[in-house]
Formats: sequence, C-alpha cells, structure tokens
Amino acid sequence: MAKLEARGISKSFRGGGGYTLRALGGIDLAVESGEFVCLVGPSGCGKSTFLRIVAGLDAPDAGEVVFDGRAVRGTGPERIMVFQEGALFPWLSVGDNVSFGLRVNGVPAAERAEISARYLEMMQLGQFARYHPHQLSTGMRQRVAIARALAMDPDVLLMDEPFAALDTQTRYTLIGEMQEIWQRTKKTILFVTHNVAESAALASRVVVFGNRPSRVRTEFRIDSPRPRHAEDGSLASIQREILAALRPEVRRQEGLDG
Amino acid sequence: MDRRAAARRAAFYAALVMSWQAASSAGALPPGLLPSPLDVAADLARGAADSSLLAGVATTLWRLLAGLAIAIGAGVALGVAMARVPAVNETAGSLVLGLQSIPSIAWVPVALIWFGVGDAGIVFVTAVGAVFAVTTSIYSSVRNIPPHYLEAARNMGARGGHLVTLVLLPAAFPHMISGFKQGWAFAWRGVVGAEMLFSFLGLGFLLNVGRHTVDISQVVAVLVVIMAMGMAVDAALFRRLEDRVRERWGLR
Repeated sequence: MAKLEARGISKSFRGGGGYTLRALGGIDLAVESGEFVCLVGPSGCGKSTFLRIVAGLDAPDAGEVVFDGRAVRGTGPERIMVFQEGALFPWLSVGDNVSFGLRVNGVPAAERAEISARYLEMMQLGQFARYHPHQLSTGMRQRVAIARALAMDPDVLLMDEPFAALDTQTRYTLIGEMQEIWQRTKKTILFVTHNVAESAALASRVVVFGNRPSRVRTEFRIDSPRPRHAEDGSLASIQREILAALRPEVRRQEGLDG
Repeated sequence: MDRRAAARRAAFYAALVMSWQAASSAGALPPGLLPSPLDVAADLARGAADSSLLAGVATTLWRLLAGLAIAIGAGVALGVAMARVPAVNETAGSLVLGLQSIPSIAWVPVALIWFGVGDAGIVFVTAVGAVFAVTTSIYSSVRNIPPHYLEAARNMGARGGHLVTLVLLPAAFPHMISGFKQGWAFAWRGVVGAEMLFSFLGLGFLLNVGRHTVDISQVVAVLVVIMAMGMAVDAALFRRLEDRVRERWGLR
C-alpha cells in the first residue's frame, strides 16, 4: 500500500472578470514509504498548489488525498510542509522555532529542548539555538526550517521549492545534506522544484507535471548511487531526458503566454 | 534618534521659546490673551509647589491608564475576533465603524446617566473613546500577517488559544503598536474632555479653573503639561517598544 496517494486531484482558481484558471486537471500520484519524489514542471503549472493540497492547506475541487489508506482532510502532523521562504517565526529564537510544533502538541519543555537540540545538531546549527532567524543567512534559515519540520517527526516531508532563494553554492551543500537526512531518517519526501539538476540529484523518482490544467505527464526513476552532486556527469543523461520531457510543455506554455 | 537630530530639535524649541519670550517682552502679545513663557513657567512652578498640578497629573494619569487598559484589552479581543471570524466582522465590524465616528465627548451624557459624576464615568468615556480606534487598528494588523506564518503554525497543529497567543498576536505585534499609540491619543481626548465637563480633579478640571478665573497662564501651563506627557510617553514607551520589537523581529 502506498504511503501517500493523490487520487484525481483537480483545482481551479477564479480570476478577475469571471475568468477561471484550471490549475490541476486530475493528478494521480502514489508515493511509497521512504521514497524521495521530486515534482518538476513548467512554472505556474500548479505543482506548488498540488503540494499545498497534499499538506491540507488548500482543499481540492475534486479528488482526495489518501494517507496510509485513509482519506485525509486538512493539515496533519504526519504531513509537514517546508515553505519556500522558510516561514520561520521571527519573534522566536531558532531553538524555539524548532520546538514550536512540539510545544503546541503538549510535549514537556525538557523533552522539547532535547529534541530541538538534536535536530539543530543534525543540521549543523547546534550553536545557533539562541539566535533569532534574522541573524542567520538565508541558507541557515532554510536549514532551521527543515529542522523544525523534522522535529515534528512527520511520515511525509513536503518541500515547496525550499532551495529556490539560495545561491548556487549553498544550494549544492543543502542538496548533499538533504540526501543524508533522507537516508538517516527514512522519511517519505515530496519535493517541488523547477530546477532539473536539483531534482535529478535528490530524487529517487522525478515526476513531471504538464501544463495547466496539469496532469502527471511522465516520470523517471533514478537509481544512481549516492551521495550525488547536482553537477555529476553521471546524471547528465537523466537531466537531458527530464528536460526533453519538459520542453514541449515549456514551449506550449510560452506559446500560450506570448 | 541620532545626536544631530536631538541637537536640532533642542535648538528648535529653544528658538521657539526665546522668540516667544522676546515678543512678549516687547509688548507685541496681549498679556491677557497670550502669556509669556516666563508666566507659564511661574504657573508651572506654583502648581508644582502647592502640588495641585502634580495631583492633577496623577489623577488624570490613572484615569487615562485605566481607560486605556480597558480599551486595549477589549480592542485586541474584538479586533482579533473580527479579523479571524467572518461572521463577527460582517456583523460587529460595521457597528464598530459606526461607533468609531462618535466623538468621545458625546459619550459624556451616557456616562453621567450610567455612572453619575465620578471616576467611573470618566474612565468609561476614556475607554469608549479609544476602544474602537484600537479595534480597527488591531483588525488590520492581524489581517496583514503574512499567511505563511499562520499556515506553518496550523500545519504543526497550532489551534485556538495556541494559535492566537503564540502566533497571531506576536506576528501582528509590530503593527499593533501603532494601534496602541492611537488608543493613547484617543484616550487623552476622552479623559481631558470628560474632566472638563464633569470633574473636580485632574488636568481637565485645572483647564476649567483657568477658564473660569480667566487665567491664561494656567490654561497654557496645563496644555504644556499634556503635550509634554504625550511626548515623554512616546519617547520612553512607544518608541522604545517599537525599536525593540523591530530589532527582535529583524525588521529594518
């Protein structure tokens, strides 16, 4: 049985003047426990919308999200999202940010501190627990956001272009760290990105979304040994294949937009 | 505020007071209508010496703070409810807008009928005059919270009281400070207005005494005291709070 399943998810948005934008046109996707799935697609294809629906932050117009065999509605501690800009709470210290989820779920303070310290250590931020988010670099903040999500010990990590705002060097470092975390924690990960090299380095499976109203267009399994680097020569051919799968989509979209 | 700005400001006030005094000394200002700074200073000194002024300040201040505390407490609760519960906004929201257009002085008859002449009535006028301005300001500061904060919190399981106290209020806090400032300004209008109409104590009462004894020095002295208190609280409380919050939140 799949860990997480999306069945026929569709979603439209009402624009101005009665114009309706059909974002998702029936997404079917099954993710096995411990998979690292990257979702790629042309910009504006609705992959982030899909992730938000899986997280329960938005409701689909049709279809359902199934977790461990039962349909879920709304958010749940088993599906935790890492936002593009981190969404760390600026009024809390780094340590309190990481233990926030534990706090609202009634975990005692001593245990919270221990768990928070453990995940900050895992993200190599052990000595920054007392800092405030704005005192850290963008890359460090994103690592805190990942630690905050991991501290909830979710079954599924949902990551919405978490490295998009980072410089290349930092992104490469985090691509390496993310693989280690995945191997250590055995989490199921659903990771949205528009960066093909990033997806090829991270994923055990890359799922390509089509244009609006988007469906799953095709997918690639990647079994190359880890740790992988975004610029590994051995990934070049798979990157080309993903790009080739995306190209008609991107062109169609450009034709549409132009 | 840097040193240069402070120096510039001090120079401005010194020049203002000196030219005012010079105009008075030259006989350019009718003494019965506009006192000289020295007259005002003498009146302030007299008021301080016989402690009438200090008593007035103390009385007005506690009424003001009591009214403001009520206004902030109720305004935060109502503003948050309006921002988060559509039904509350659709119903009470329009009422709040209507009530906000009532000047605090217009509540004086209500206060007199409900509470009679006394502190309770003045605190009532102060609170009711400030509460709706605080409410609308809190409402918009909660509405302007970046949605990701609330989504992340909800995703991690924050609900109800936790969501309000641990996320909503701190996230809105930098903007809420301006709501508190508004409340402070409106509370002053309410308390002095009410004191002028029905009190035998407080700064508003002292203004009235000045009016009845045709003592323009006393009137101006009380105005100066009110202005100075406003500026002092802004510098010592609101400005400092704002700076600390901005630093903590990393807002530049």
